[in-house]
Order: sequence, then C-alpha cells, then structure tokens
Amino acid sequence: MSDTSSSKSAQHGHHDHHEHRGPGYSTPQEAIEQSEPEKLAYVPSLYVGTDVDAPDFLSVVDLDPESPTYSQVVDRVEMPIKGDELHHFGWNACSSSCHVEGLDRQYLIVPGMRSSRIHIIDTEDIRHPELVKVIEPEEVFEYDLSTPHTVHCAPGGRILISMLGNADGDLPGGFLELNEEFEIVGRWDSPGDIGMNYDFWYQPRRNVMLSSEWAAPKTFLPGFDLEDVQAGKYGHQINVWDWEEQKVIQTIDLGEEGMVPLEIRFMHNPEEADAYVGAALSSNVFRLYERDGEWHAEKVIDVEPRDHEDWDIPVPGLITDLVVSMDDRYLFFANWLHGEVRMYDVSDTANPRLVDTLSLGGMYGDIREVKGRELVAGPQMLQLSLDGTRLYFTTSLFSTWDNQFFPEEGEKGSVMLKVDVDPRKGTMTLDEEFLVDFGESPEGPARAHEIRWPDTDSTSDVWI
Amino acid sequence: MTHRVELRWSHGPGAGIEAAPTETVLEAAERAGVGLPFGCRTGACGTCTGRLTAGDVRYRRPPRALKGRHVRDGFVLLCIAEPRADCRFDVGTEVQSRLVSNPWTRG
Repeated sequence: MSDTSSSKSAQHGHHDHHEHRGPGYSTPQEAIEQSEPEKLAYVPSLYVGTDVDAPDFLSVVDLDPESPTYSQVVDRVEMPIKGDELHHFGWNACSSSCHVEGLDRQYLIVPGMRSSRIHIIDTEDIRHPELVKVIEPEEVFEYDLSTPHTVHCAPGGRILISMLGNADGDLPGGFLELNEEFEIVGRWDSPGDIGMNYDFWYQPRRNVMLSSEWAAPKTFLPGFDLEDVQAGKYGHQINVWDWEEQKVIQTIDLGEEGMVPLEIRFMHNPEEADAYVGAALSSNVFRLYERDGEWHAEKVIDVEPRDHEDWDIPVPGLITDLVVSMDDRYLFFANWLHGEVRMYDVSDTANPRLVDTLSLGGMYGDIREVKGRELVAGPQMLQLSLDGTRLYFTTSLFSTWDNQFFPEEGEKGSVMLKVDVDPRKGTMTLDEEFLVDFGESPEGPARAHEIRWPDTDSTSDVWI
Repeated sequence: MTHRVELRWSHGPGAGIEAAPTETVLEAAERAGVGLPFGCRTGACGTCTGRLTAGDVRYRRPPRALKGRHVRDGFVLLCIAEPRADCRFDVGTEVQSRLVSNPWTRG
C-alpha cells in the first residue's frame, strides 16, 4: 500500500490486481514468473549517417538457442522513406493498461528522430512484423513539436512520446499523446512547461513522472560541439511532473556533475519512489527519490575519467544507457567511450555496490573482437531478460556522434552481443558464441540501437 | 529559368541536375533520381549538409543546424537551399561529418 497522502495514490493502492484481462502482468514478479524466455528481438537498424541510399529498418533477430537461425537477422521491416534515424521505440500497451479488456501488446511505435515521422508496426506475426500506419512529420509539426524520442505505454491504451524540440528543431520540447488508434490526441504538456527534453518514466502510485534533458534538436542532431556545452546549450536538469495534472511541479538542477542527464529508470516495484538517471557527459549516476513530497537528487556513482595519449582531457566514460533488473536488485549501465558495462547491487538504493564489470570495445576494452569480428565502439543500448540472466547490448549511440567518436561504427556497422549474468553470484560473462553483425546488412553496414522483444522486457512496463 | 547544379561525392562519380527557381537542391536531386542524404527537411538536423564551391543559394527558412563558422566555410543545408545561380556542391555524409569533430583529440 502506498504511504503517500494523495487520494489518487490511495485509490491506485486499492485496485484489484488479481483479475486483470488486459496486456502485461499484475506485478513485476508475475512478469518474471510467467513470461517465456525471449526468442526474438526487434532492433532499429540505421543507414542514416552513411552514404547507403536506403531507408532505416527494424531488424528481427532470432534469440532462440534451439533455432537453426539463432543470432541471425531473420526479417527486416523497411521504413517508407530514408533519413529517419530510428532510435528508441516502444509498445502500444503494457502492464499499465492491464485492466483494459481487448487491448493487446501488439503494436510497436517506432519514431524517426531526424524525420519526426512515427511508424506503427504490427507484430501479430511476431517473426514477420508489418508496417501498418505512418504519422507524417507535418501532422506532428502542427503541435509545434518535433524529434520524437521515448515511447511509453500509458494507462488506458494511451501512448506518450517525448518530443525534443518545436517544429523548427528549437526549444521548447514537450510530449505528444496518441490514442489506441494511433491518432494524435494532442500535446500532453503545456508549451513552455519545460525547455529541453529527452527520456521520461512515470510511476502512477507516486503520481509522478520524471523527464531528463539532452539539448535542442538543432544543437545535438548535427553532432556534439563543445562550444554548445560552454554556451549552456546542454541540459543538466530533471523535471518532476504531477502525473495526473500533467504539470511540472519541481525542477531539480543536477549542476556541473549532472551534465546531459539521459536515460531515466524507475524501480519496477510500483510502490517505489526511487529512480536512477545517468548523466552522460559528467559520467555520474544520480539517484532520484521522494521524501515528504519533495524530490531529491544525489550522486551515487561517479565514473572516473581515464587518461589517453591522444586526448587533451581525461576521457569520460559517457554513461549512455542503464537498465534496472525486473526484481530491482541490480543496475547495469554502459560506459560507451571507455568500453565497459558495469553491474551494481542496488538492494540499498542509496548505496549502489559495484559487483562486476565487463571490459569490451570502446577505447579501453580488454575484449577487442567477438567471433573474429572487430569491435569498433563501446557497449551502448542495453536490454535485460526478465529473469536477469541475459544482458544484450548494441554499440551505436547516434549517427552523428558515432561519426565523431567511433567513425568506424558507421563504416563497419554495429554488433549486438550477449552477456550471461549470474544474479546469485553477481557476475557477468560475455557469451563468446553470440554475435549479430549488422555490418552484413543487405544494402551495406548498418547501425543498431535499442532492443525490445515480444512480451515485456526490463525497460517497457509500468505498473499502476 | 533553371540552374545547373553539379554534385560531387568524395568517392565515385558526380551528377549534374537542373533545379527550377522554386526548388531546393534536395528536391531537384530527388526529381532527377539522385540520392542525397537528408533527415528533417526543415534545416534543423544537418544530415543533408553539402559545401558550396561555386554559385549562390537562397534559404527558404533559417539554416538552424549551421553555426556562423559553418556558413562562412561554405556549408549549406541542401534541404532548404534554392540555387540562385549555377552551382557546384560537395555532397555526401563525409561533408556532414566535417561540421564537428572529436573536440578532445589532439591533432
């Protein structure tokens, strides 16, 4: 039962989870118990940022170890127009709509960050998904929004998408809401509630949503320019929203140690008022937590920069993605520049305890190749199986940023790799037999980004 | 009256196209079946960046993805630039990647 005084929270606390008929699971634990091991993955794959004259696509990767096509791309869904920069994506419905009868987790909402085009992909045939609808950029621009990023399934079959800029690619950003039919309902926020935007996560029982900040699209899309950091054009704040009222109620400044806060991961337990955010540029992890109605941020992990003979300054780890295990016991994150995945015990959320690291790719990684394939960038987007034993990752960050820091990523394409995790012992071991090489894509080497699969994963669902 | 536009890639052969007075370089290239990179088509993302080596252009809307130093160096957003004269451009991803480099590496 929630211990907050809000009447809305109290109502949520009372709702009956025993007879849900909609998508998803009653609790994170039920998801762990009842879901099947993942047998397929969907991975946005990109030609944008290379001279391959073809649209981006969604790859279907076979993850069934019993299958003859294990670790191969078994289907591709091509986007209608090139230049999207597919990046993050999400489901139409999840556990937050668990009481909506007749609603299924069936459609992927796949935005193009550069194009502002939003694709709806039907996964009824999970091995052969189909593009069924496209929301054109002009429809999005009508709400003075552009550059769609994070997609979250919201209660009642609604879909919420963080939008990083206005129709000109300038500030402010905002949020776009779609209905069950994938029609634009409108703007979820009020224009000017926030300036910058990036990732977000909501926790209904705490009546809260947290959103992070990258920069204006016109600032980060062309590439990373240090002049923009010095001019204050990159984010360092967390916006705290009243989820029901759809209004910002607090803004937390993370300061110099919290430059460019990107991915936000709430604890899965719907009662928790604890989340983590990775400040990419400062390479610190902050814990965000609520006490007595106020939200607070405290730095709980500091990744030390490392010297490099070719660099003028010590190299930051660049924490780009993080994932919390479904049982809320472990936090994993990637240091993309260093070439490292870290695993922390977060059973005491205020005091994460480093239990293991995997040194691979990037600038300092010990492991430089897998199955004879050279690794030319560091671990980036992470996804974890619900039982917490299989961690997958891809290696591309963002086309223009890849081209600055790991230019070979565009020339050779991304890889998807797998790490075997032992949650009892707190260890990670690279699966040296698993390799998905997007460099072998039909039109030429492709980048690969976020990873999801049919049914839930460790970054999709929210519980009401 | 149309303008002659020459497109040059760092690798491979170039292409010559004609652009009508109300067409952007990108639109003229698409009409001619020549593939140029693009993203937002609003001047915000810089994916279509080319470099003008001869001629003149006029913008339909502000080239927000470019900074003053880029404009001075001849970089042009082909999705919103209409030729005002016969033009020659360096095009392709390699031109875009020249807008910014790794700010921290030596040399």
